[in-house]
Amino acid sequence: MSAPARDLVASEWRKVATTRIVWVLTAVAVVYSSVQAGTLVLIAAPGLMEGLAGTVLTDDLLAKPEYITAVLGQAGTASIFVLLLGVIAMTSEFRHMTITSTFLATPMRGRVLVAKMALFAGIGAGVAVVAFAGVLLTTTLALVPFDHAPITLEAAASVLAGAVVGLALMAILGVSVGSLITNQVAAIVTALVWVMLVEALVTLAFPAVGQWLPGGALNAAMAVALRADMSGGMSAADVLPPWGGILVLLAYAGVFAAIASRTTLRRDIT
Amino acid sequence: MTATTGPTIEVASLTKVFRRSVTAVKDLSFTVSPGRVTGFLGPNGSGKTTTLRCLLGLVRPTDGQALVDGRPYRDLPNPTGMVGAALEASGFHPGRTARNHLRVVAAAAGLPASRADEVLEAVGLTDAGRRRLVEYSLGMRQRLALATALLGDPGALILDEPANGLDPEGIAWLRSYLRARAAAGGTVLVSSHALSEMQQTVDDVVIINKGELVQAGTLSSLSTGERVVLRSPDEARLLPLLLREGSGVEADSRPDGSILVTGLSAAEVGHLAFSGGCELHELSTESDALERIFLDLTRGDA
Ligand SMILES: Nc1ncnc2c1ncn2[C@@H]1O[C@H](COP(=O)(O)OP(=O)(O)OP(=O)(O)O)[C@@H](O)[C@H]1O
Ligand SMILES: [Mg+2]
Repeated sequence: MSAPARDLVASEWRKVATTRIVWVLTAVAVVYSSVQAGTLVLIAAPGLMEGLAGTVLTDDLLAKPEYITAVLGQAGTASIFVLLLGVIAMTSEFRHMTITSTFLATPMRGRVLVAKMALFAGIGAGVAVVAFAGVLLTTTLALVPFDHAPITLEAAASVLAGAVVGLALMAILGVSVGSLITNQVAAIVTALVWVMLVEALVTLAFPAVGQWLPGGALNAAMAVALRADMSGGMSAADVLPPWGGILVLLAYAGVFAAIASRTTLRRDIT
Repeated sequence: MTATTGPTIEVASLTKVFRRSVTAVKDLSFTVSPGRVTGFLGPNGSGKTTTLRCLLGLVRPTDGQALVDGRPYRDLPNPTGMVGAALEASGFHPGRTARNHLRVVAAAAGLPASRADEVLEAVGLTDAGRRRLVEYSLGMRQRLALATALLGDPGALILDEPANGLDPEGIAWLRSYLRARAAAGGTVLVSSHALSEMQQTVDDVVIINKGELVQAGTLSSLSTGERVVLRSPDEARLLPLLLREGSGVEADSRPDGSILVTGLSAAEVGHLAFSGGCELHELSTESDALERIFLDLTRGDA
């Protein structure tokens, strides 16, 4: 009924393009992930950190191709911002009551949710591309003074592909969380506390459980989890295969969205 | 502007109970016809907004139905083209410009972006269209809400207190715009508690109080006829003469010392006074203001 799905996605895009939040958070995500990558290069650089880190870094990490891949994989740290973008996209409709005109134009409320998820998959992928570009540039520049393993095209391509898929899924997850918790402040706080506290602690204490949580699934989906070094003590056995990570993230988003469309999205808009 | 006939709006035994305890609308039924302006009147908290939101699929009725063209809003094939709605406190994103707000809605309704500029012009906001909404005044927001309602060039307009915040010029413009819309065959349902301004705009009225229907009909059917105002030094003799004329006759003294008579024409009162030999110092008529009828109808706790 009413306008075709393409028009709904176009409307959602105009909502995003005509406010500042996406541009701001994308810029922040690029800077943040680039700084992470640059830092990883510098702490591994021979001589630079020895005073601080003692003699821990005996290996020449920069000579290891896996380490270089892990540095590029910092593009994935943009995921938290992408999650927030999805959360904000849905909750700002309730905060500013634009949900009234949205549901007047599209009374089948589930279609709005689906259109937002579709658009934000694209936005997550877009953020992944620019964050990866920032990380690649920073890494290349930071590596200049040192001997290091080369940045291979295969490594770059697989990290980029992983980031695109992972961040697209994270954005969809964010939209689904925002539709389940429609109060903007509550939704943002919940998302941040979950990612930074709950999931970090659970993963540390019970890696076998952590792999089934969104963050663990994201790592798996991006297939760049650096096991012991990067994933808070996960062993290889506690990381799902990439397709498993993708399915787990899709399942979270799907279940949240399904619950939301039967509960929060059915509520009276007053 | 569409010249085709707008849809009929029907509210049938509508009941809405919020949180299992607040009965906002109770067994309310009325019909809104195309080609006429219908005023939806009631004091604060009487359930106007709730009723309109039920009509627009935003609030789920507890019981009964609210239909546009015989269907619930969400089943309309082209809702934006059938009904344009401007609701009290419907929101705008403060960071967006008016034009972009309209383009967002236009896209969702499958309309070309150029409609945004057309409706901005229709409500006199062309010059302010590129300003962010955080800078908009209440009156400008009302105009933008109306512009949003007009996007799909709908056969029916449902407006919740559209005159709030408008300057006198804006109110005059709104009035003539709604009249023109109805004259072209459109359906127009406007809620208000500022009754005096509705009187000059509406053909039909639906009056509610505490969620229940008080009266529905044409504006002229509401008027209970002329009221006669008189002053007389012989009032003690005159009043029994008047009251003897029939059971429908009533006379009340007013604080200013005059007497208000209903149920008799001025000519009849004059004749009775003359033949009874009573001196009159004033004999005039007062037509029933909608305001007064409204106050009478919604007065008193049910
Ligand atoms: N979401 C809600 N939850 C609980 N009660 C509500 C809700 N919305 C409205 N009400 C109650 O329903 C009643 C009718 O409210 P409504 O807003 O429909 O009145 P109204 O006629 O539009 O008033 P006004 O002239 O002030 O705009 C009021 O008692 C109000 O408190
Ligand atoms: Mg109201």
